[in-house]
Amino acid sequence: MKILIKKFGKINSSVLLLCIIFLVLELIGHRHGETSIEDFTFFPAFFGFLSCIIIFKIGVSLRSFLMKDEDYYDK
Amino acid sequence: MISNFPPGLIMIIGALLIPFLPHIIRQIYMMILVLISAYSLTLGFGIHSTINLMGFDFILFQADSLTLPFAIIFHIAAALNVIYGAHEKHWKQHVSIMSYSGAAIAAVHAGDLFTLFIWWEATAFTSVFLILAGNTYRSYKSAFRYILIQVTSGMFLLAGAIVLLINDGSALLTKFDINSLYGQLIFIAFGIKAAFPLLNGWLQDSYPEASEIGTVALSTFTTKLAIFCFAKCFAGTELLIVIGAIMTFYPIFFAVIENDLRRVLTYSLNNQLGFMIVAIGIGTELAINGAVAHAFAHILYKGLLFMGMGAVLYRVGTCKASELGGLFKYMPITAVCTIIGAISISAFPLFSGFVAKSLIMSALGKEGLVLVYFMLLFASAGVLHHSGIKIPFFAFFAHESGIKTKEAPLNMIVAMIIASALCILIGIFPSTFYQILPYEINYQPYDFSHVVGQLQLLTFAAFAFICLWHFKIYPPELNSTVLNSDWVYRKMLPGVLIPLLKLVEKMNQKFEWILRISFTRTKLFLSDTMLKNKVFDREVGSDTLIVVQIFTVFLILIFIGQFFK
Repeated sequence: MKILIKKFGKINSSVLLLCIIFLVLELIGHRHGETSIEDFTFFPAFFGFLSCIIIFKIGVSLRSFLMKDEDYYDK
Repeated sequence: MISNFPPGLIMIIGALLIPFLPHIIRQIYMMILVLISAYSLTLGFGIHSTINLMGFDFILFQADSLTLPFAIIFHIAAALNVIYGAHEKHWKQHVSIMSYSGAAIAAVHAGDLFTLFIWWEATAFTSVFLILAGNTYRSYKSAFRYILIQVTSGMFLLAGAIVLLINDGSALLTKFDINSLYGQLIFIAFGIKAAFPLLNGWLQDSYPEASEIGTVALSTFTTKLAIFCFAKCFAGTELLIVIGAIMTFYPIFFAVIENDLRRVLTYSLNNQLGFMIVAIGIGTELAINGAVAHAFAHILYKGLLFMGMGAVLYRVGTCKASELGGLFKYMPITAVCTIIGAISISAFPLFSGFVAKSLIMSALGKEGLVLVYFMLLFASAGVLHHSGIKIPFFAFFAHESGIKTKEAPLNMIVAMIIASALCILIGIFPSTFYQILPYEINYQPYDFSHVVGQLQLLTFAAFAFICLWHFKIYPPELNSTVLNSDWVYRKMLPGVLIPLLKLVEKMNQKFEWILRISFTRTKLFLSDTMLKNKVFDREVGSDTLIVVQIFTVFLILIFIGQFFK
């Protein structure tokens, strides 16, 4: 644990800890979703992680043609 | 009599007195105005005030189960704005905010389209001064674009109202058919104010250019008034589900790359409006409750986030992620309140966003709209990314910017603490909150599945962000302009139209010259032919020439006339 905190920092390690707790919670109780697809084990966790990565990837790729100089409209 | 007075109107009339009052007394006076206006809400449901002008009954004050939650939150927001803006010594912005809030509240209580139109335009004309108060050349230009678009929306509304009046003989504010002409005109009017995809440019263009107080007020009223109107007139219109889903989806990517944190919040605002529009499109009682609950909660946490960023702007003079960072140690209370706003908008359990958004997600699940459901779930992760993490992280943590400042003024802190408390209270006591919604519901947001599912989604999305940041994959924020739909009328149209107009002008000049030359040459040729070749004797004179010319014209006309027989 100490190595983890040293490597990742306090806040980051606690987020990781929370992630693990919420995964364990699902194993203890029975979770079901609004749709049947969501009923897969750990579905929200995968979905959340992947969504964030996809958003980041698309966002970064959009930079090349949506991002202009700060004074673009003032020229 | 005072109880029959339409809510909001007292705020508009009372605002005229604000310039004559000294600084602090002014704030107390404004608070009293808000309280008097709110008193009218105790009158109950029904039509309370009409006025007959030019043979038309203007319904000024109509209350029902849908107007009540909007009226309550608009009054709360108006009161919070009074507190938040108390440090501003000049009267101009206060007059603007008070009359703008009043116009929005009055609009919610309008019973017919013409009354709505008057308040619709009033919200535009009163709020534009808040953008001008940004006091930069950019804000000045942006304010003009803002008012043009708002007035255009008003024109669509007026056109729709007139068509409806001609068709039906009345212009009551009721449910409209999207397949009719008036329905479509009114739909576009509402759509502009609700910042529909491709009509949204004004939102991201103007709000971040306003003053720190102005943006907080702006974020509350205009767009939520449009949401109210959609809920009232277009509930259950399926097209709204599609539009809403797109609205939740695409602003996320813009928000991720945007550098100005107040502009990030406007993209986030756009995305949140999408959730409400989807819910209105579903149109069931659960969904409409969801839309209203979300609008209510949204005004509080979005206002709170704008307050936090406004405080940073007020103290530091910039809201750019690339220039901020490490402000937590100087502005800890502002940071904590902003984080509460960020947690609320991300819909963490025990905060307002969760109890509101759950209604919409459940309504989607019940209707079996799986694709839209997952689009909104994806958007929920996006909200965490750009509003939940990006806003507080880049302003108060991230790298050390070297900026040294002090905590926000006391009045700002008080307003932020009240808004934070409301966000938490709504999250802890959802059943009390649900009582003000239009329809009675028996809904429990805190069940095991909801809570664990949402927590997993959010913590893992946050963990993904941490990984990207920790392993230095996340690119640094850059000073930049992100292109949006306003590019069409700010760059593309001028880029096409100006050269086109110049070309027309040039062609016009050239044609004029060619015509002149050919006319002179023809004249010369004719006179030469007539004189040199002796077609006419000099003695015949000009009178005969005129007669011959008239005769020739007649001959030509007779000749042409043969074709039309």
